[in-house]
Amino acid sequence: MRITCPFCGERELGEFTYLGDAKPQRPAADAGEDAVYDYVYLRDNIAGVMSEHWYHGGGCRAWLKVTRNTLTHEISAVEPAAGAGAAKVGA
Amino acid sequence: MADFSWDIRSPLDRALVAGPYGAQGEAGVSLTEIRDFDLVQVMARRGKAGEMMKAATARFGVAAPETPKAIGTADATLIWSGPDQFLVLSKDGKHSIEALDSVFAGSASLSDQSHARALISVSGDKARAMLAKLSSIDLHPDVFGVGAAAATSMDHTSVTLWRGQDRADGQAVFDLLVFATFAASLWHTILDAAAEYGVTIGHSEDLA
Ligand SMILES: [Zn+2]
Repeated sequence: MRITCPFCGERELGEFTYLGDAKPQRPAADAGEDAVYDYVYLRDNIAGVMSEHWYHGGGCRAWLKVTRNTLTHEISAVEPAAGAGAAKVGA
Repeated sequence: MADFSWDIRSPLDRALVAGPYGAQGEAGVSLTEIRDFDLVQVMARRGKAGEMMKAATARFGVAAPETPKAIGTADATLIWSGPDQFLVLSKDGKHSIEALDSVFAGSASLSDQSHARALISVSGDKARAMLAKLSSIDLHPDVFGVGAAAATSMDHTSVTLWRGQDRADGQAVFDLLVFATFAASLWHTILDAAAEYGVTIGHSEDLA
């Protein structure tokens, strides 16, 4: 499997580290215990297209959001994760 | 009590043995460790990448790299190391962290890497063939020309790799920055990969 880093280009899997599901959003501070439990522990086990966070630690050290089909490993999109690259934030 | 020596030494001081190595005859790979350089990591502060780029242009007379490239200036090399960040490689304190401090005040954070990396220059007929064993980057001259750079890994070790100016005899030069504590390990891996081609080993204080 190869991932095309938006900053570096196409690279081998060994340069990347998998974090996991990119969908969960941190709940508001007053959202309650169930929402926090869900955010921290509960994950969908998706068989199909999934949005994931990957880290290009063996390269440019940017966090990426990768859209990948977990059945075929086909990658349909790679974009910088929120905050990756100082210019993308608050510029 | 033990005597401590705080002399500045290269991380390859013990591993590097100058002279020929591996197969005999004409050396296919030339390895030169470059010592005694200044290296500063420049990283834009949040939302300040534009300001950082302007400051870099004012300082160096050329724009800093925004894509994986190494750009030579009159007295430095600016090497892309990731989004909104680059390395400044120079000598004799011309662009040391002290010298750059005021240049990037407010726009970028600086980190002195002068003694945190080893710099290895690879050239020779078989340089590409040797590097191809260690790197998944396409180093074909059509793809990786003079000034091309990559933040990548070799032998599970993060490296900054770029193609410098060709040697006087036309040979391509590949420059390699590696973390000091990984330098000896990568050095031995490089020697293993290069041995079949014959190697000539040396060190220099000159930035090519
Ligand atoms: Zn990358």
